[in-house]
Amino acid sequence: MNIVVCVKQVPDSTEVKINPETGHLIRAGVPSIINPYDHFALQTALELKKKHDFKVTLVSMGPPQAKSVVQLGLALGADEGILLSDMAFAGSDTWSTSYALARAIKKLGKIDLILAGMQAIDGDTAQTGPGVAQQLGMPQVTFCEHVDVDGRRIIARKLIDGGYEIVEARPPVLLTMIMHKDYVPRYPSFLAVNASLKKPFHVWSAADIGAEPQFLGLKGSPTQVDKIYPPPQREKAAMFSGSGQEGMAKILQIMKAEHFIEE
Amino acid sequence: MASMDAISRNLMLDSLREYAKRRIPFDLIRELDEKNEFPADILREMYDRDTLGVHLLMIPEEYGGVSGGTFDIYRICEALARIDLGIATGVFATFLGTDPLNQGGTEEQKEKWLRRIASENLLVAYGATEPDAGSDLVNLRTRAEHVVKNGKIAGYRITGNKQWISNGGVADIHTILALAPGGPSWFLVEKTMEGFSANKHEDKHGIRLSNTAGLSLDNVYVPAENLIGMEEGKGLLQAQAVFGYTRVMVAAFGLGAGAEAMEIAIRYSQQRIQGGGPLSEKQGYTHKLIVPNYVRLEGARSYIEYTALRLDSGEHGLQTEGAIAKYGASEWGNKAADDAIQALGGYGYTKDFPVEKIKRDIKITCIYEGTSEVLEMTIYRGRWQEHLKSRGRYYLDMADRLDEVHAKEPKAGAHAAALALRALAAVLEECRVHKLTRHQHVTFKLGKLICAAETAAIFSTAAAAQKYSETVRFDREGWQAMARIFAREAALNTAMEGLALVLGAVESDGSLADAVNIEAIQTEQRGMMADMDLVALKLKQAFKAK
Amino acid sequence: MIEVSKKCIGCNKCVPVCPFAAINMVDKKAVMNEACTLCGVCVQVCPVQAITITREEASARDLSGYKGVWVYVELNETGDQPQAKKIKQVTFELLGAGRKLADELGEDLCAVLLADKNHNYDKELGAYGADKVYMVEHDELFEYNTDIFSTVIVSLVTRHKPSVMLYGATIQGRDLAPRVASTLYVGLTADCTALAIKDGLLLQSRPAFGGNIMADILAPKSRPQMSTVRPNVMKMNEPVHGRAALVVRESAKLDKSLRRVKVLERRISHDGGGVRIDNANIIVSGGRGMKSREKFRQLEELSKLLGGVVGASRAAVDLGFKEKAHQVGQSGTTVSPKLYLSFGISGAVQHIVGMKASDVIIAVNKDAGAPIFNVAKYGIVGDAHEIVPKLIEALKK
Repeated sequence: MNIVVCVKQVPDSTEVKINPETGHLIRAGVPSIINPYDHFALQTALELKKKHDFKVTLVSMGPPQAKSVVQLGLALGADEGILLSDMAFAGSDTWSTSYALARAIKKLGKIDLILAGMQAIDGDTAQTGPGVAQQLGMPQVTFCEHVDVDGRRIIARKLIDGGYEIVEARPPVLLTMIMHKDYVPRYPSFLAVNASLKKPFHVWSAADIGAEPQFLGLKGSPTQVDKIYPPPQREKAAMFSGSGQEGMAKILQIMKAEHFIEE
Repeated sequence: MASMDAISRNLMLDSLREYAKRRIPFDLIRELDEKNEFPADILREMYDRDTLGVHLLMIPEEYGGVSGGTFDIYRICEALARIDLGIATGVFATFLGTDPLNQGGTEEQKEKWLRRIASENLLVAYGATEPDAGSDLVNLRTRAEHVVKNGKIAGYRITGNKQWISNGGVADIHTILALAPGGPSWFLVEKTMEGFSANKHEDKHGIRLSNTAGLSLDNVYVPAENLIGMEEGKGLLQAQAVFGYTRVMVAAFGLGAGAEAMEIAIRYSQQRIQGGGPLSEKQGYTHKLIVPNYVRLEGARSYIEYTALRLDSGEHGLQTEGAIAKYGASEWGNKAADDAIQALGGYGYTKDFPVEKIKRDIKITCIYEGTSEVLEMTIYRGRWQEHLKSRGRYYLDMADRLDEVHAKEPKAGAHAAALALRALAAVLEECRVHKLTRHQHVTFKLGKLICAAETAAIFSTAAAAQKYSETVRFDREGWQAMARIFAREAALNTAMEGLALVLGAVESDGSLADAVNIEAIQTEQRGMMADMDLVALKLKQAFKAK
Repeated sequence: MIEVSKKCIGCNKCVPVCPFAAINMVDKKAVMNEACTLCGVCVQVCPVQAITITREEASARDLSGYKGVWVYVELNETGDQPQAKKIKQVTFELLGAGRKLADELGEDLCAVLLADKNHNYDKELGAYGADKVYMVEHDELFEYNTDIFSTVIVSLVTRHKPSVMLYGATIQGRDLAPRVASTLYVGLTADCTALAIKDGLLLQSRPAFGGNIMADILAPKSRPQMSTVRPNVMKMNEPVHGRAALVVRESAKLDKSLRRVKVLERRISHDGGGVRIDNANIIVSGGRGMKSREKFRQLEELSKLLGGVVGASRAAVDLGFKEKAHQVGQSGTTVSPKLYLSFGISGAVQHIVGMKASDVIIAVNKDAGAPIFNVAKYGIVGDAHEIVPKLIEALKK
């Protein structure tokens, strides 16, 4: 089987700050990381590769420095990496991004399984995976936490509200992955990083994937950002200290004042 | 070796940090520190080629390593220091111990030993220091006597004692400096060799996770093929040749540990409320304990990078530059760690917060690989020669170049840095005229002034550059403000301390006060308050409370 | 536009799957008629990639004639037992938010219901404010399936041209909406926390970067403007019983072959008699600071006394104090109860994102510097282990 994993480079959202006066993001000094959900998708693909000897190709879209997440994947064991990098992609919303990724995957030829993170932690939209699936005419299974392949059957365990389902699909299919709780992200050894430089890696432009300009970037994106601003700040907490009896009495008093319990 | 591409380097750094996050939490470090214990399993894992393989940085690709350059090694050393300086020292010892082989080993020796170190994940120690021979290796007492068989030198019998050897009690291989009949030479000694033993692990002030032990060599037989370079008497040259970049590594330790302490203090200061507001908004706190320290460390960083890039481009030696890098980073890092304790107040003084340990650990960076005093002398010696050779033009020329930088980018502090360099040139010249370098105190003090003035020059040049290094975590506005603060401080100190130094040693100072241009330097202080306010804000933004 | 190339082999696979019966075989070649909605199902099933859909350029679109605010009606998941599904609360919240939008636009508020059987859903939807209910009843709609549901929604949208369409930002809504948006080439904004009308356009506000910033999003060039809306954020209106919605029955031609993903097994955790944290009024939550599973149980007693449910931080779940279903936060459930009472939770960003919308937060933690105090209304610096038993004692009286 041929597996494609979609990976994205994102700013580490736990380190993102905002300028309270202007409301702009302060990007300087914020480390870029692989989107954690994509990292899990990548590891899932690499485990399947180990078991079944599948070929794993990485596809990412971003500025040239986003090569980093592709190289990470290669160092961890993927076979080939593609980075879509072109000014024409700038400003793409999830629709245009899905379109470009789908064009690139089409160019790769016959693909049986696409894995992607459920969402990226910078946008939290969870829309790109289903978008790619739709554009490629593939079925999708979102919010998966485990995948198995048995011959031509792809079996996934996916979350639903209040529980989970075990579902079956035939290739080609796209799965989006959430992280299950025992997951520990792996990082490559120094030797593996060094060796990854020798694996096939290509940067493709919009022309390389035959993308039509009117579907790309801001022009091709149905949504546009009207305004970015900091979330409203809460007032400072009223602070008290006291353990045992004292703390208990305080909580009771607050709950009475807020009418959660009766006087 | 040239350094690798930034992406590969940063992937390795990520792997190291993630490993540390998972396997070396602060609670464990604190416990090991308390118990004075070397974490052998962690070091083995860090050397494991399938897990991390940090030691492979020092080994060329053709022998199974990853061919790290000086810039790579500086970055890894900084990251190690942020984790724990004891663990960092354990890795450093292997780097250092591998060095004589890299420098002077024959092709066969490299093929055999480097490949073994790489593939068997071996810990190495660097056995140079002796009870009577520290940085001054001339008093070497350890002897290597010929063992002759069939008229040929078949091997050596080594006898002597080594002191304060990092990894001494745990290394698999030791590179031992001993006095052979042909002069000081390096030998590869395996821990299993008969007559070799390690003494007890020292009970140290800091870096307690690093194993430090004396070594006893009692008539240890070493085959001739273990003489590095297969030629006697090359030992000191081989040792000296690498001071440039081994000192960059220790400089990175001072930088990493000092910056870590500062960053803890900056994050803390945003949560700690005193007198109605967070400490991070009080100048009495930020402008005293935080901003000056962080600015000096950024200066040290720019000097380290400048030296590392020159070494990576193929220059050799750079002993003075290595000394400046290490002296600045370790002294400023030490001061920063001390102020970090102050910044955390009572909490800082407890073992519940890491700054107390960092302060104990970081002191070693002012001691090993050349004490600060040895470095002051080294810096002075190197640049005094330049001053004489150029007939006093060395720093004046450098100042002219800074003027050009200033003309292109007036916001990077280059003008203040030029003032510092011209004041330095005047002080040096005055010292020459009055023969003041006969006073040892003058020479050492000059070393200190040179370090600050040159760092100012390099920092301002870097802050004026179009493109910043990948390590700069601040925007242009913030980093240039830091460069200005650094350069102003350097100019002021050079003029004031230089003047005081000369005045203290001669009857008349001629017109030195005019020559160092105190007036211009004082005028140049304009804007300092606004810059400190700005930097305090940038630091708060960069290191948000967690 | 849709085109069939010379590659078409006349295999007939596309004809039965078209939900709109828009394909005919003419001389062994597929030909589309005017019923075609460009939904793309035929493209998906074509074995030789003979069918291509070219989307019109955004600026060339005619946006007039798009009227109505639509709400996708989400029914809850059921386990193996055959029982009537219930409408999820988020649907009523969407009707509450949609009502305001529709009134401001002067358009109808319409609920879109896909089910195998109508269990008086239309009555409920009417009571919560819907003017119209577009209802598709079909056996194949017995459970949610991406392909089938998106196909039906796409056909309804194409036929009736709404200006706005809202979905719950639930697992189902976030699976369905992007599929629909991608097919129609329209804008979709995920996980909105506020909606308004600005110059006749839907202004969609959403948090990004882990809640560090807010963004307002517009989709001016395409219709419908679609959003998924975070549960527990919008206020639902009080139901007006007897207020009836006009029911518009729609038919869909659905074939089994559309179901490309098959459910082999479904498990619903019936926890605490069906009480779930995402719509609880009172949540008593504990973290790593509760120290052990045994001590964590005290929180269950406390929450029972208060009539609430138990929540847990990710750390507490990882340590096995409580099941994953109780996890509050970015990787768990987003909650917004009237009261959130936390014990021994320091407040990692990922936790705070999931609970900061609560009306009243009372936090108990030993560390005065714990970030949870930054979002709490009341902070108690104290030891949970001493306070919790005392609180239980006091409440029992």
